[in-house]
Amino acid sequence: MKLNRISFLLALLYVPACLFGQALTPATILHPPKDTWPTYNGDYSGKRFSQLTQINSTNVKDLKLAWEYQAETGDSNPFGTEIKATPLQVNGVLYFTLPDHVWAIDARTGHQIWHYKWKSQGGIHIGNRGVGIYNNWLFFETPDDHLVSLEKDTGKFRWAVQIADLAQEYFSTAAPLVIGNHILVGVGGDSLDVPGFLEARDPETGAVQWHWDTEPKPGQPGSETWPNTDAMGHGGGMTWISGTYDPELNLIYWGTGNPNPVHAGQGRKGSNLWTCSIVALNPDTGKMAWYYQVSPHDTHDYDAVQTPVLFDGVIDGHKRKLLAQASRNGYFFVLDRTNGKHIVTAPYIDLTWSKGTDANGAPIPNPDKEPKPDGALVSPASGGGTNWPPPSFDPETGLFYVNADYSFSVFYLTDTSAHPEGFAGRDAGIWSQSMLKAIDYKTGRIRWSHKYRVEEGSEGSGVLTTAGKLVFSGDPAGNLIAFEAATGKILWHAGLASSVSNGPITYELDGRQYLIVAGGPTIYAFTLPE
Amino acid sequence: MNKFKSSCVLAALIFGTTLFLAGQEPQVPASNPPPPEPPAGAANGPHPGPAAQLPASGPRAGGATKPAAQGPPNRAAMMRKFLGIGAPPDPAAVDRGQKLFVANCAFCHGSTANGGATGPDLVRSVVVLHDQGTGKDIGKVVLNGRPDKGMPKFNMTEAQIKDIAAFLLSRTQAAANRGSYEIQNIVTGDAKAGETYFNAHCSSCHSPSGDLAHIAAKYDPVALQSRFLYPRDRRAFGTEGPPPNPKSEITVKVTLASGQSYEGRLDHIDDFSVALVEPSGEYHSWLLDAEKGIKVEVHNPLQAHADMLPEYTNADMHNILAYLEKLK
Repeated sequence: MKLNRISFLLALLYVPACLFGQALTPATILHPPKDTWPTYNGDYSGKRFSQLTQINSTNVKDLKLAWEYQAETGDSNPFGTEIKATPLQVNGVLYFTLPDHVWAIDARTGHQIWHYKWKSQGGIHIGNRGVGIYNNWLFFETPDDHLVSLEKDTGKFRWAVQIADLAQEYFSTAAPLVIGNHILVGVGGDSLDVPGFLEARDPETGAVQWHWDTEPKPGQPGSETWPNTDAMGHGGGMTWISGTYDPELNLIYWGTGNPNPVHAGQGRKGSNLWTCSIVALNPDTGKMAWYYQVSPHDTHDYDAVQTPVLFDGVIDGHKRKLLAQASRNGYFFVLDRTNGKHIVTAPYIDLTWSKGTDANGAPIPNPDKEPKPDGALVSPASGGGTNWPPPSFDPETGLFYVNADYSFSVFYLTDTSAHPEGFAGRDAGIWSQSMLKAIDYKTGRIRWSHKYRVEEGSEGSGVLTTAGKLVFSGDPAGNLIAFEAATGKILWHAGLASSVSNGPITYELDGRQYLIVAGGPTIYAFTLPE
Repeated sequence: MNKFKSSCVLAALIFGTTLFLAGQEPQVPASNPPPPEPPAGAANGPHPGPAAQLPASGPRAGGATKPAAQGPPNRAAMMRKFLGIGAPPDPAAVDRGQKLFVANCAFCHGSTANGGATGPDLVRSVVVLHDQGTGKDIGKVVLNGRPDKGMPKFNMTEAQIKDIAAFLLSRTQAAANRGSYEIQNIVTGDAKAGETYFNAHCSSCHSPSGDLAHIAAKYDPVALQSRFLYPRDRRAFGTEGPPPNPKSEITVKVTLASGQSYEGRLDHIDDFSVALVEPSGEYHSWLLDAEKGIKVEVHNPLQAHADMLPEYTNADMHNILAYLEKLK
């Protein structure tokens, strides 16, 4: 009988392995195998560069559609059905989202495995960037400000915790980022001047591990960049795009959004730290190591949430640990990521909002170009030189690739009181032109630029680079395009029913490389013929 | 996989993809009105972009000389839906609540509730935002006061408190709903200087007594300012919008290696194909890589407007508007 009891105990030990597929451990995320795409950016660097070479510049012309999957929500969303999520691919399963919805589909065939729908209490359903996975648990954020955890293999609900206050007009779109046993959750919302923050949550319970505020408290360093406690307490600075992580330095890098009120600066004179900044935080404590503000005293809605991309490079003959951002304000920045010291600032589009840069490489706002009651004509428009779609860095070409818009807008200040609230202004988009830019990280100079042959701009598509000497992205006319990374020459394209609406990813399964993109409500998979 | 969505791109060319709600590109035939413009903030993350703008303003109704209300009447309502803001409170209750507020609360909190000499801003107050116009949360504070912060008790009925709550809800919704913001007077420039600028830069294509006669009677100032910068037909969300303007139509001439050429309205163009509709109504399209030696010449009559955008100072823009406003 003793043997039976042992067998029973052994069987119990095996239960988790029977119930769940292979867990995605934090250690695997640190060194992602080629058959997976385990985080928002594929790896912690944010490069979105894949070592895979099966699809390459010589055979990409043969790329063919393998399958497509159309996501049906059954909802009527005033923002439409557009997959902005970067899918995660773990153990041959793709996980992606729309606001309030998560799907698991077979990464080889596109067949649906499960679909989960969150019952919403409201909030702005503008988009969702995807899920995070820790072992066997999946995490996503909702428009009504919950962090929801599901079992990754079944889609079964585990728990949900509130991460922000819907009544204060917060809403959440970010893809949670898993680092060790921390689930990093960013938030959004700028209708009513609420403060931004970033939190680490416990993967087992959802409890807060640490909380970092975008604004300092009265008397703390940085508070001198605000006129008073009230302005500082309503200062905005949302954290709505997943950041990046350097395990050696044990620092996370996160971009923060615009200050509030969005278009009115008169009630918040000063540079408004740490809005429109790149901040380096300790992932275990949330303690800030350094910051660099890319848009002091923003009044144009130029969030600086764009991915802070990490790579090592050579500057003036010295090997450096670098961080680069093509920021919404139209400038490209390169920093030393060990200490935040500035290395390069260069505009990647023609812009008019700034008078140039200071000794520290920070742009100087031009007061003439701040929103005015009778309008100020400004480039770029509030959507920026680029927006949320993820860029890519190819370490082999040394080029940073970003979909950019050259655009103009008239910015109107509508609330001229000393105590403005909300957006406090409006902007009227006038004109824009979309293009893909390849930026030399050492100088910020444009190596090549491809202006899409469509007159007007668009929200833009994300970018993927591969060791196959390729850049994948999309144009505003609905084409998925493969460019030669070094030259920008077009090597292949496919016309989709909607423009590429997310960041493309790639992985290898059964010896076959897949390229995955979303266009509107559809996920498309491409491979080479057998 | 070489299917093209020509209707979308046509609309993109003529009316501006920037105005589309991304992912909601309507599959309209070429002759249909342009797609609707979503409210600002629709396309980009939590923030608005050029990719998504409500028109700064709308056409003036029936050539009225009095400036029309800015924007289509449903602008604020559409933005309310996009932002997920709840239903507006009963206007009668808001009126009663405003009178009560001004009489009892404005001394400390300001007559518009956004803070006064001694009382805090209530528009962005967490208590008010959680109250949602019910009076339940606000009532506790009104009836009990906040002695620690120097706020006295007020003897009010439940109905009075509900009315004050309705007024405060209307204030928070007005601040949160940027679709309801009114642009102030923008006709601030020097019309004489505007005329000089016009004669130097615009008169080769436009005439105040010809194509621009009575232009200021057709559009309110905000629409007119947007239109002279780039005269795109902006369709307001939820409306049919103006018909395509043949004057702003992009045309194309396609010449094949054989020497045969086609001319017409540009239906679609991207890096891989071009399509046009001849005056007869006949549609033609070509794949650029399949048609060796193809020559494509696009004529955008609005190009000069785009080229001018980096040139204007704010003063130029305001002066030109002041001049155009004289063309009633």
